[in-house]
Amino acid sequence: MVSVKFDRVVKVLGQSRAVDGLTLEIKAGELFFLLGPSGSGKTTALRLAAGFYAPDEGKIFFNERDQSGVPPHKRNTGMVFQNYALWPHMDVWNNVAYGLKMRGVSKEEKKKRVRQALETVRMEAYMDRLPNQLSGGQQQRVALARALVIEPDVILLDEPLSNLDAKLRLEMRAQIKDIHRQIAHTMIYVTHDQAEALSMADRIAVMRGGRIVQVGTPRELYTRAESAFVAEFIGGTNLLPGTLEEHGDLLSVRTRVGLLRASNGVKGVAKGDAVFCSVRPESVHLSILKEPRLEILNELTGEVQSIMYLGDSEQYSVRLADGTLVHAVEYNPTVSKAQVGDRVSLELDPRDVMVLAREQPGD
Amino acid sequence: MISQLKRYDLSLATAGFLVLLWAFFIAFMLYPLSFVLANAFFTDKGFSLVFFKLMLWSPDYTLILANSINLGLLVTLFTTLLSVPLAFLVVRYEFPGKGLLNGLILIPLVLPPFVGAIGMRQLLARFGSVNLLLIYMGVIDQPIDWFGGGFGAVVLLEVLHLYPIMYLNLAAALANVDPNLEEAARNMGASGLKLFRTVTFPLMLPGYFAGAIIVFIWAFTELGTPLILGYRKLIAVQIFNMVTDLHQNPMGYALVVAVIALTLVFFYVSKRLIGGAGYGMMGRGHVGSAIRPASASLTVLTYAVVLGISCVALIPHFGVLLTSIAGRWFLSVLPGEYTFKFYREVFTHDLTLLSIKNSLFFSTLSTMIDIVLGVTIAYLLTRKRVPGRNLLDALAMLPLALPGLVMAFGYVAAFSATPLDARINPVPLLVVAYAVRRLPYMVRSAYAGFQQTSVALEEAAMNLGASPLKTLYQITFPLVFANLVAGAILCFSFAMLEVSDSLILALKQQNYPITKAIYALMGRVADGPYIASAMGILGLVLLAVSLFMASHFFGRRMGELFRA
Repeated sequence: MVSVKFDRVVKVLGQSRAVDGLTLEIKAGELFFLLGPSGSGKTTALRLAAGFYAPDEGKIFFNERDQSGVPPHKRNTGMVFQNYALWPHMDVWNNVAYGLKMRGVSKEEKKKRVRQALETVRMEAYMDRLPNQLSGGQQQRVALARALVIEPDVILLDEPLSNLDAKLRLEMRAQIKDIHRQIAHTMIYVTHDQAEALSMADRIAVMRGGRIVQVGTPRELYTRAESAFVAEFIGGTNLLPGTLEEHGDLLSVRTRVGLLRASNGVKGVAKGDAVFCSVRPESVHLSILKEPRLEILNELTGEVQSIMYLGDSEQYSVRLADGTLVHAVEYNPTVSKAQVGDRVSLELDPRDVMVLAREQPGD
Repeated sequence: MISQLKRYDLSLATAGFLVLLWAFFIAFMLYPLSFVLANAFFTDKGFSLVFFKLMLWSPDYTLILANSINLGLLVTLFTTLLSVPLAFLVVRYEFPGKGLLNGLILIPLVLPPFVGAIGMRQLLARFGSVNLLLIYMGVIDQPIDWFGGGFGAVVLLEVLHLYPIMYLNLAAALANVDPNLEEAARNMGASGLKLFRTVTFPLMLPGYFAGAIIVFIWAFTELGTPLILGYRKLIAVQIFNMVTDLHQNPMGYALVVAVIALTLVFFYVSKRLIGGAGYGMMGRGHVGSAIRPASASLTVLTYAVVLGISCVALIPHFGVLLTSIAGRWFLSVLPGEYTFKFYREVFTHDLTLLSIKNSLFFSTLSTMIDIVLGVTIAYLLTRKRVPGRNLLDALAMLPLALPGLVMAFGYVAAFSATPLDARINPVPLLVVAYAVRRLPYMVRSAYAGFQQTSVALEEAAMNLGASPLKTLYQITFPLVFANLVAGAILCFSFAMLEVSDSLILALKQQNYPITKAIYALMGRVADGPYIASAMGILGLVLLAVSLFMASHFFGRRMGELFRA
């Protein structure tokens, strides 16, 4: 079990800097997620850790050991590939035993550990099968067993669940988390699925353009997203552009639809800055507009543009006077709160409004 | 019955084409084959294994059989040993001039080995250049028998001719290995030779066997090279000798059946070894390129290996070139004087001029047949659901596995005393034989073209009001034109230098094609070999130019043509 440290790592692939100055510390035993849209450099970072790529700049450390020049087969990492990469000419047993053979483990020991690994992923009944006789979920579990059996210093998972159907994906999430709890190995897990990251991770690094945007626990990232990108990428949010007018106990933002008050703002925003007010859809309280109306703090008005019923929730898209679209979500929607075309009021609790710096184009 | 037919796209035109195709295959593949089988097993007195007994109990024939099998296996083995490192260096490393080297590796493919054999004879004969040179230099005082009785020379020529086929298949197989699978192995601690042995090579096996079986069959039934070298202890040569007295001696039939049987056995074994598993690629994930830039020393090594092998492969043909311009070359290391008169004679001599005309005529006709048949078959296979689809596919590919010798023998035997009798007029059967032999190339080329062309493009045309026939002419054919041209070039050039069909079927001098004329000239004492060499060189140039054009059309997909 080791800690993994990326120190100002740069990797150029083709014309682009796939990883661009990555600095990151992953603690020993942590289930750590690299989360980002495609092209954000997360898989490249993982392959750098595995040694398939050598950094163009910077270094990678396992504990304090510099991994520069250590070839992939000497790194003792266990990688689970996106397409599983099970060898089609070997049966399940031989696939899993391969790493132990390379390590010259004795016959008895090998038998024991392969069986144990297959039991961990509940695949012991399929030892004699060839990979193409297994379903996607089963292949996935064999790939996991193959990585586990060598007791690697770090387990690297490259979008391991992306080829599975939705139901199986949920099952495997729980299983991988379970296995992590049992063996407490350091795991680096790459995904573009924010729900997967939120539900499983100890900590998450959100990546964009080869750099890290924010690192934190799932709760920190969700409740205290520090940028519009993170807020939108994790969970989705409403962004109302405006100018910061007051920076006291409450922050006041002048938007095109009126003055909004917020109790939270990211560090570094100052009076006069161009900012976003970020409000999660589930924090928007929607009700039918009553006449005559009183002035309420942080109330917006608009017309329901469309409604999406999702069973456990109902999503309203509301067009404000200036044309901005605001999303509101009601959970457990036993009755509809409004119909398309209704004039509605949207109330925002200042505690649910986060003031974020408006990124400059090209940032 | 009706509901069953509904599963197929059977318009009147489709059904008509199918009937014609089947008629062709039955007449020119199934009937001759069954005729040979019948004659091998049935005598006047009914079913009998007497010829097979004769064959297996006679030490002469068992030796001949063993020789042929050995030839096939040795050539397969040596081509493998040559090609594995070549494929690995070229596929896995990036270095300057890679395209050029790739082309160099393919050159021997255009050097027909039976032409090379002429040069080989000149260089390595008892009093050939090499021995004479060594004697002059005082290295030896008795001439060395380089041919090993002829067998060694046949092996050498075949290896030098066929390794590009092996290389093409191995390179394709290596390029197809999912890089993720190798990465997974390295991640698990494998590297170097261990990685190659446990993961890379096993994954290459299906592609390897696809090429190996072609190389084996090619060498196993090679006729032209041993004939020119005068090595007779091969089954192919025996069969050739027996064509003339088919009626008196049914042994020929038994030998042909033995060739078919052995071919089938090796085919079956190679398929079994793969385990029937063409490892389909699973969903591709992140594909890290497996191609690395080569270090300077590796680049030098690669160049040395490729250039070295190519030079050796060219030596026999260099000998041919020398022979063709040698005014007098007897008991000396190099020709005594040089002249171009033999090239002039090629175009004036009756036999040669006629043979060139013949070859051009036959090859043009057979290529036209190939285009019609090949395009039709490929179109039916890719665009229509037709009954017996798999069988049609298998029949069209069968000539790849079926030795040309077997086909030619079957034609002579099966059509004797019919209007197509090769003894009376060999032209129709020669043209058909050429066409059948090279049909797989045309089918493969057209098939690849149709497959690359999205059906949606055709549907779009029909959607906008084009009739199916219009769509075919205005959309489909223009899109697959390059493939058709490439396939046609291959068919034509291989037909021009087809050996076994020509030697067996062209029974009258006025119908001799180029190859048979060369063979006939080699038998003439005076200037025969010189004129034969000049013709060989002309043939070489022709094949080289056409293959170069074909590979220009095919690009990197060339390898797909030479596999089973």
